[in-house]
Amino acid sequence: MIRARGLTVRYPGAPRAVLDGVDLEVRPGEHVLLLGGSGGGKSTLLRVLAGVVPRVVDADVSGAVEVAGVHLPAEQVPPSTGYLTQDPADQLVLPTVRDEVAFGLENRAVPAAQIPPRVEAALRAVGAAHLVDRRTAELSGGEGQRVGLAATLVTAPDVLLLDEPTALLDPAAARGVAAAVAAARTPYRASVLVEHRLDELGVLPGRTVVLDAGGRVAADGPTAGVLVEQASHLAGLGLALPLRAELRAAGVGSLDELAGRDVRRTAVAAPLGAPAAHVVLRARDLRVRRDGRDVLHGVDLDVRAGRVTAVVGPNGSGKSTLLLALAGLLPAAGGVRGGTVGSVFQRPEHQLLARTVRDEVAWGPRRARRTDVDALVAAALGRYALDGLADHDPFRLSGGQQRRLSLAASAVCGHDVLLADEPTFGQDRRTSLACGDALRALADEGRGVVVVTHDLRLVAELADDVVVLRAGHVAGRGATDDVLADVRLLGATGLVLPPVVAAAVATGRPVRAVLGALRSAVRTATGAEASRRPEGRRAVLAGAVGGTPSRHPAGAP
Amino acid sequence: MNGPGLGRALPHDSVLHRRNPTVKLAVSFAVALVLLVPVDPWTPAVLLVLALPAATLAGRLGARTVLRALALFTPFALSLLAVNAVTRPGAVLAHVGGLEVTTTGLTVGGALALRTLLVGLLSVAFTLTTDAGRLMTSLHQHARLGPRATFAVLAGYRVLEQLPERWETVRRAQAVREPARRPGARLPSDPASLARAAFTVLVVSLRQGERLAIALEQRGLGAGPRTVARPVPLDRRDLVLAVVVLGAVGVVLLASWRSGVLRTWSTVG
Repeated sequence: MIRARGLTVRYPGAPRAVLDGVDLEVRPGEHVLLLGGSGGGKSTLLRVLAGVVPRVVDADVSGAVEVAGVHLPAEQVPPSTGYLTQDPADQLVLPTVRDEVAFGLENRAVPAAQIPPRVEAALRAVGAAHLVDRRTAELSGGEGQRVGLAATLVTAPDVLLLDEPTALLDPAAARGVAAAVAAARTPYRASVLVEHRLDELGVLPGRTVVLDAGGRVAADGPTAGVLVEQASHLAGLGLALPLRAELRAAGVGSLDELAGRDVRRTAVAAPLGAPAAHVVLRARDLRVRRDGRDVLHGVDLDVRAGRVTAVVGPNGSGKSTLLLALAGLLPAAGGVRGGTVGSVFQRPEHQLLARTVRDEVAWGPRRARRTDVDALVAAALGRYALDGLADHDPFRLSGGQQRRLSLAASAVCGHDVLLADEPTFGQDRRTSLACGDALRALADEGRGVVVVTHDLRLVAELADDVVVLRAGHVAGRGATDDVLADVRLLGATGLVLPPVVAAAVATGRPVRAVLGALRSAVRTATGAEASRRPEGRRAVLAGAVGGTPSRHPAGAP
Repeated sequence: MNGPGLGRALPHDSVLHRRNPTVKLAVSFAVALVLLVPVDPWTPAVLLVLALPAATLAGRLGARTVLRALALFTPFALSLLAVNAVTRPGAVLAHVGGLEVTTTGLTVGGALALRTLLVGLLSVAFTLTTDAGRLMTSLHQHARLGPRATFAVLAGYRVLEQLPERWETVRRAQAVREPARRPGARLPSDPASLARAAFTVLVVSLRQGERLAIALEQRGLGAGPRTVARPVPLDRRDLVLAVVVLGAVGVVLLASWRSGVLRTWSTVG
């Protein structure tokens, strides 16, 4: 079905090839999980197989590629391939779901009478039959991705190419889409799936291919074997591994073993924030109406200096609205009092204001007429591993680089409070870790940090306190360990712990310390490998940057 | 905003909803063209008086929605009236602040203002009763518009649909970068801030457009002959609509000519 021999791809102006002599053969009924680090060529390989590179996106391509009987590159898209990417907004084109799913059949000149039953069958197969009369603009992310999958599968493609189809979904929606993707692995079809959230998604494809940082095939074999054998290499590439493989990468059999060995040391290294810290932002009885309906009903929140508060809850529970209200960006009833507030949005590109990375970081300090702008900017660029990119256009950075840039640009302003809306959204494990470290460092400087997120591993690794929202009300709150262990609260709000977090809770020890120990064990085991790579795993955080918070007290602690 | 947006079809069914989009578009266009001829206020006034209840009832638009639509076009209509009233030569009716208001000016200005309201009403009635997807399918079927053009327009429509929300998000995301911003302050609306927000929205939207184009090709657009899953019907009732509307316009024109109120550009000079 898929045959690539010596496939080498180099983008114009790039210093080296992104794929280097890749051989890949996938037969009907074979389903491949394609893994690799960011920038390692996974997406490029899918784009070549889908016929997008070099036909639409320019690149030098050499080697022999044949997909579903078509030799590539060709003038036309191989007719029997389906290709699905991350963002539903990028693939839903027509105003209604019915037209969207019918589109591929119309283009293949399927007789009109056969189209409606095939549209309905395709939607049923991905669990989206109820969406047939909806408008595409009104679908949620998970619904949109299901419709996108139905629109891809409706033509019964022989080759299915999936580029992180769940990356932009919350965990519940991701599990649903992953199940629909798994159901599309039929014996007549060949598929290639790029995915980095391996810890949360149920059934993985049977075969795994790993690309190394140089764009070569590093491993190819049965998934269970490759994940365990390559565990430390894969962890080093920034992938979120299934629990068993991550334990293997850490060189232990269970978290208990790790906890017994390591917890005390880590607990000293990362002390839990002092509960008596003063309040830097205080919200009382916060109420917000948007588009004619109440989104928040009287929420109280104290943000304390030196502590990270996580806000979690299902979609539509009012998390992002709460953050906008705390930042004073939405008209809200009730009161918010306290110090200055900085905010990091879900999509970093929405916050970009300048034409170079350096100017972007300097933006806030210059507007604040700081005298030490150059020193501040230099320190922030170093701390967020951006110094090699100072003269780059912010819009041309990768997603992970843009995320670090938005954190740097906000951190240099020296606000008392930093709010972050889904900061690890769509990011791989490595960027998520860097992001968590950056937020922790800001809290350690004495700022208050609020993080809205679906990522419960981030919560477990980062937060001191957790607020659980449901339908605009606070459904529960408390210290992170207490909330994560509150089975009834989690069940009532539809929150499902990722396996590694559930295992850490089950040890009965401080969750953050257990996960910290796991992380340092993995880092120790992969350290040798990381130091061999050109960019390496650099210390993202080296020291305090930015203004000292004004420690504006909002009232008694 | 109160009430439904004026840029999208109302979700209910009506006589106008069921008519062929290409026919509706062509008829509206024909009426707008014919209305270039009369420059007396009576002819467009009678047509407006006929069209208001007809469009409201046939499209089940609701009086409030129609009034909102007219309110949208009123400032432009009034400005046409004002400019024409004081700039056209003719018998002077009054002096207003050193300007001469002429009878010819009032006549022509009134005609142009009423014509603006009428064309505005027709376009709103069209958009409120026509689904964008059905319009493009119909243009493809009945006006021989190529599939690439059709679906490029639809992809553009998708990007446009998301634009208001994206604009709001970007303005908020950028406003919060201002270190001196006070909580609760209005979003900055100085030209430089708006230009920066517009640039970001443009970059993000163009990139989305590129990816939408890839998605369209990936699903086989332009690969060869295609079918239409849900053809838009074109039948005798659409002919009836065209005949009734164009006939009514013809009768009004004829009546205003015979009664002597019809003025054209050649008679006002």
